[in-house]
Amino acid sequence: MEANRNCESVQPELLGWLAGDLSAADQRAVEAHLAQCPACQQELTAVRQLWDALGTVPTPEPSEQLRPRFYSMLAEFQAAEVQKHRWSVAGLLERLREWWQPAYALRLAYSVALLVVGLVVGYGLKGRPETVGPDSPPLAAASQPASNPAAVQQVHLLEQLANPSAVQRLKAVSNAEEVAPTNERVLAALLSTLNQDPNVNVRLAALEVLSSLTEEPMVRQGLIKSLTQQDSPLVQSALADLMVQLQDRRSVRPLRKLLQQENLNQQVKSKIEQSIETLSNDQAPHPSTPPTSHETHPDIRSDLAPTVAA
Amino acid sequence: MLQVKAGQVEKMALLFERYHRPLYGFFYHSNGHPATSEDLVQNVFYRMLKYRHTFTGEGEFRTWMYHLARNVLADAAKKNKPSAHHQDIADWAEKLAGGPTADAGLQQAQDVELLHQALGQLSAEQREVLVLSRFQELKYEQIAQLLDTTVGAVKVRAHRALGQLKNIYLKLENGSKQEL
Ligand SMILES: [Zn+2]
Repeated sequence: MEANRNCESVQPELLGWLAGDLSAADQRAVEAHLAQCPACQQELTAVRQLWDALGTVPTPEPSEQLRPRFYSMLAEFQAAEVQKHRWSVAGLLERLREWWQPAYALRLAYSVALLVVGLVVGYGLKGRPETVGPDSPPLAAASQPASNPAAVQQVHLLEQLANPSAVQRLKAVSNAEEVAPTNERVLAALLSTLNQDPNVNVRLAALEVLSSLTEEPMVRQGLIKSLTQQDSPLVQSALADLMVQLQDRRSVRPLRKLLQQENLNQQVKSKIEQSIETLSNDQAPHPSTPPTSHETHPDIRSDLAPTVAA
Repeated sequence: MLQVKAGQVEKMALLFERYHRPLYGFFYHSNGHPATSEDLVQNVFYRMLKYRHTFTGEGEFRTWMYHLARNVLADAAKKNKPSAHHQDIADWAEKLAGGPTADAGLQQAQDVELLHQALGQLSAEQREVLVLSRFQELKYEQIAQLLDTTVGAVKVRAHRALGQLKNIYLKLENGSKQEL
């Protein structure tokens, strides 16, 4: 077979032979033919020359703009992704999980409960009749005519925070980060959302935004005060974590008070006790309870479900 | 790449550092436009981000990357100028950093320019297989996968492309000698 290879079938193999890109059998066949065919030897020389010459054509360097252009495109893309992710049910679940890690066996039931919440937020509340009609004056807008764009955005934001749709309120909370994160009225509205919004997801989103603004004394105080006003284990637990993170010992008293609340979730209770201990001992922050400590409290599901769905 | 797929978009920065030069070379040798080639490189990385879910992890990342690059090139060719494989001899001489003597350097620069021009005059299909194997150093197997064909077909196409390149080169060389 090898001896039978003719020039026509060998010549297309010469490039591959030069590049070392032939199968062992093909390589042997080509070499056997080359050894006894001067015409193909000549062809090989010509192919080699051209192949080598082609290799000397240089590739210029891309300009210095290429790298910065790529990185700014990447940053834009990332920002857009974060925004998209934030509003997906998966993103919501993920963020809730960061705060709250139920025992592994319970996660599924828990996730299902949250998924239901997500769907309710997504579809159920959208259809709810608008309680704020066009006649009723928008919150905070009436007193001050908004002339500059920033003020218009703020007024819009405050209106949105009072929107009957939970989805709209969630969006408003997220926008607060961009529009006017340190404006006093916006902060007050966010704190009031944290304490009073009927939807736990909106309250958690408000908490997330506020937890990045703890440099503001008003936010810090508002968060400490909020401890005793929460009835959702998710929010309670997230707040307790945040207090440990902030190492704010002023929160010890409201945390103690929270412990006296009736129907306090067992898991939250132990988390708060631990937070108090950490804060009292003035230790380095332990922001999150290790997940293993939850495994002894299988009663969490029955406690969580009604609260989350509220 | 699977990490990028999992949402760790910042891993894309590593891929950029590793592959932007080869990709730039792919476009540059394909279309001869330095500036356009940069746009197309950017375009490939954008598509990588956007379509990262289409990289299954089976097969090689490079094959997937060149798959996107070929699409970008084809899209650009539809609306863009024809290829412009032309550079001043002086540019080449500079890039080649001279031969043993100034004359030898100039001669080499002229050869390179002719080869570069000849590459530009090949059909897109023939040029592609040479660019992928010579400049991108892909194996026949990878090229076959990329072009959705057999190794045998790739070998034949490369062989014919090289023969055609030689014909064009000789014609150009003749022309340039007559000019002198
Ligand atoms: Zn022969």
